[in-house]
Amino acid sequence: MKYIKNVALLVVGLYVTTLFFIYLDLEEKRPIISLFKLFQSNSSLEVIDYALDETDKKKTPISSNKDRNAYYGDLHVHTKHSFDAYIFGVTASPDDAYSWAKGKTIKHPLGFDMKNDEPLDFYAVTDHGFFMGMMQAYADPSGKMSNYEFTKAFHNLNDPENVTVESAGQRSNIFSSILAAAIIDPYPLWHPKVIKAYFNNHTQFALRAFDDRIHKSAWADVARAAEEHNDPGTFTTFLGYEYTTSSDVEGGNLHRNVIFNSSKGPIRPWTRIDSINPEDLWTWQDNLRAKGVDSVAIPHNSNGSNGQMFEVESFYGEALDREYAEKRMRNEPIVEITQVKGTSDTHPLLSPDDEWADFEIMDRRVGSRPPTYSMPAGSYVRDAYLRGLTLEFMLQGNPYKFGLIGSSDTHVAAASFDESDFWMKVGVLDGTAENRGTVPLSEENIGRLEEYMQAFNQPDSTKTLEQGEYANTGFTQWGASGLAAVWSEENSRDSIFNAFKRKETFATTGTRMAVRFFAGYNLEKIDLDSDSLISEAYESGVTMGSELLHNEDKRHPQFIIWAQQDKNSAPLQRVQIIKGQMNMNSGKPSEKIYDVACSDGLEVDPITNRCPDNGARVNINDCSISKNVGASELKTLWEDPDFDPSQKAFYYVRVLENPTCRWSTWDAIKAGYKPREDLHETIQERAWSSPIWYIPAYEDIDVIPLGGTVELRNFD
Amino acid sequence: MKKKITIFLILGLLIYFIDILNNDDKYTKDIYISDQEINSLVIAWESQVGRKPNQNELINILNDYIQEEILYREALALGLDENDRIIKRRLAQKITFLKQETFLEKPPIDEIINFYKSNIDLYYINPTFSFTHYFFSNEENGKKRAEVFFEQLVNKTTLSKSDPFLLGKNFAYKSSDEIDRDFGMNFSNHFNIMQTDIWSKPIQSSFGFHIVKIVDKQEGYLPDIKDIFSQVELDYANNIKEQLLEKYIMDVRAEYNIIINPNFKIE
Repeated sequence: MKYIKNVALLVVGLYVTTLFFIYLDLEEKRPIISLFKLFQSNSSLEVIDYALDETDKKKTPISSNKDRNAYYGDLHVHTKHSFDAYIFGVTASPDDAYSWAKGKTIKHPLGFDMKNDEPLDFYAVTDHGFFMGMMQAYADPSGKMSNYEFTKAFHNLNDPENVTVESAGQRSNIFSSILAAAIIDPYPLWHPKVIKAYFNNHTQFALRAFDDRIHKSAWADVARAAEEHNDPGTFTTFLGYEYTTSSDVEGGNLHRNVIFNSSKGPIRPWTRIDSINPEDLWTWQDNLRAKGVDSVAIPHNSNGSNGQMFEVESFYGEALDREYAEKRMRNEPIVEITQVKGTSDTHPLLSPDDEWADFEIMDRRVGSRPPTYSMPAGSYVRDAYLRGLTLEFMLQGNPYKFGLIGSSDTHVAAASFDESDFWMKVGVLDGTAENRGTVPLSEENIGRLEEYMQAFNQPDSTKTLEQGEYANTGFTQWGASGLAAVWSEENSRDSIFNAFKRKETFATTGTRMAVRFFAGYNLEKIDLDSDSLISEAYESGVTMGSELLHNEDKRHPQFIIWAQQDKNSAPLQRVQIIKGQMNMNSGKPSEKIYDVACSDGLEVDPITNRCPDNGARVNINDCSISKNVGASELKTLWEDPDFDPSQKAFYYVRVLENPTCRWSTWDAIKAGYKPREDLHETIQERAWSSPIWYIPAYEDIDVIPLGGTVELRNFD
Repeated sequence: MKKKITIFLILGLLIYFIDILNNDDKYTKDIYISDQEINSLVIAWESQVGRKPNQNELINILNDYIQEEILYREALALGLDENDRIIKRRLAQKITFLKQETFLEKPPIDEIINFYKSNIDLYYINPTFSFTHYFFSNEENGKKRAEVFFEQLVNKTTLSKSDPFLLGKNFAYKSSDEIDRDFGMNFSNHFNIMQTDIWSKPIQSSFGFHIVKIVDKQEGYLPDIKDIFSQVELDYANNIKEQLLEKYIMDVRAEYNIIINPNFKIE
């Protein structure tokens, strides 16, 4: 009896001691010996090979092109496993997503067909890592999560009869209030699950609303679907997920998609519950890389980051240094410049001399309630490139030397690129023109919308315009964009992933333009009309995503730009070079835009650097466009008239199509209305290449910024 | 006085019985589709697709509607009652799901093999082409130059200049779909009638004109069932599900009369 009592006392004693040390550790009052750290394992670093053990399929051989082919895809796709997608009525699985990408029609939550007339070359399902798969478990009234009180609101949420436009208000409420409260509800500190969370480095164990088994099986489903649909030579899939983090105080969006290079991946995604600091994500990626699992993280919606995506200081406000720059570039070689929630090239306030800057601007912080303005500085790609030059000038390294892709961020498994057939992205919420705010609301919908907008803490639910009351949902700032494109030898995981790493990528707003971009010092020797143009350009120059070192003989660099139209979209209007440079004497960055090739035989005006108007117009009554205006391809050799060999610079290409109707115009005219007077009626679809960075010789620089030393000057 | 009450009573009973008889209407086997209904279906279709449906599409729309109506009524007969346009469609979907769920057990291998044999076109790997081409861009009078060039090829005289093509000169193992994706305008249609190693006449693409030579054609083939077994198994299961639903609809549809205005025209 006494023996049992002693054992019991010992167990309780050990338990209390453990709790005490965990308490010290969690509260950052580190014990002298971090003994307990020795017993911790990191569950997020366990690597699984998700490859299917199938006998090799007999296949036609994969063709490889050393001059590289253009492949188009989407690296940002959500399915029912994402918490928000499920709440917005989506039941489509990763299998459905991949089937759609390969050309199959699937259904929108509201019951209409989502077609894909032109299959994609690659596709990655990237569900939110955070609470992946959990919503479906909440919705099951007989499952084990159903015992929790908060899951009541979820029960049978996505049964067919419940997926209606009318349910948008209820769904928004679940999204904004019920879920938000549920996910931050932890077990008390003494609970064994808290101890388990501590020893596994897996905070989510300590949350009541979380179930590890369900979570991992959703992740395994994502991986299995990626493996099953991967078809080297024809269609490439990637294992991936979205790391959905934001800054603590101001709610700046810091979302990133993580894309893995093979069938190997972690046993669970590493999420914002593990850490909200993206620098920790990169550490995790580095650790996985050491275990043979390579990955890239792709930031998106910097436009909604309130200046925090491309900050000049770290997450905790420290000065950036070269180590930070290297770590960031090692893990984030590319950035998503365009998607449904707006385009992040630049903002009219940042680029007042860019006539094309006012393009698909989404000026709110992502997910802010009520909608709150997002500060442009630090939120746009061009500004980031300039900031990179400034940081480098200050000897802090350049963390913003990234390439560009586009993607959709669809939440209904199928991406929506077509202005004339646009279903936007969040299911029940934006599946109708009325909710998108492009046609006036009917009487009965005004009340419904009020309920829906209240859930989003938006007091002005409607907007009164010429033709009536419109939904003020903010969706009018969203758009039918974009595509990720790469130049790679073949359509396979390795080949495309390597293109991401070397930044040989370009982005489009959804149409399949193609653009080549080379820089070098002897490019004038290449015959632009020769079949060997590309192989010669690769030989004697560098391509998009690369650095161009200064020339010994002080020659000026030359650029070859070659763009081709999308055969199903409008012809090309012009090709531009966007240049940013750092004045190495004053430390002042600046930007300039040059038209370099014009359609219809027009010539660039050497004073304004602009092409004359080619006369392409859109008929707003039926969206028809001018015939026989514009180019099927534009090709040129260009020299920078303002080149200064001592100044650091970057150059990227922007290709502009002739104008076409914007999706909001299509919505209106299809319903028999005029387009809204306060929106752009037309857009110019466009493509951006990754930049080429010019690196001057360091002897040419004679001013040293404060705090710098001569020795440190010896960079690159 | 008593007499009056009896009359009222009898009248009351009469009204009651008439009411009962009328209520039976709910279970009629006639489906009457009014012109108005068809018009509203057409408008709904148009608002999604952006144009009016053609004859075939209209038939499909009507068939969908009839199917929906039948499933709806069957659902009503099951007691899932409530007269709302959206509930109606949702109930139809619900019964669809119910009927599909009934097939769950693992299918026998023989049946899967039979399915494979009777659906070989599903698994047939399409032929691919390896080819090279001369390109003449739309931007520089492509048609004329291509014709001149073709003459020179035929007469074996000195060749004039062609243009580089952005997607490259040589293409390997491209299926028809892939060729059309790169060149547009059903470009690959010409390939089926072309002979290997002979230059074609100029063919128009979305970007200009091309003179093409097929270097190698990989014939299409049917992969062995062993290599694609899991795929066939999945397709078989899906097929059975669809069949069950179809059979269910056909069984029930036989009990219905469908009435549509034979003179209906789209406005």
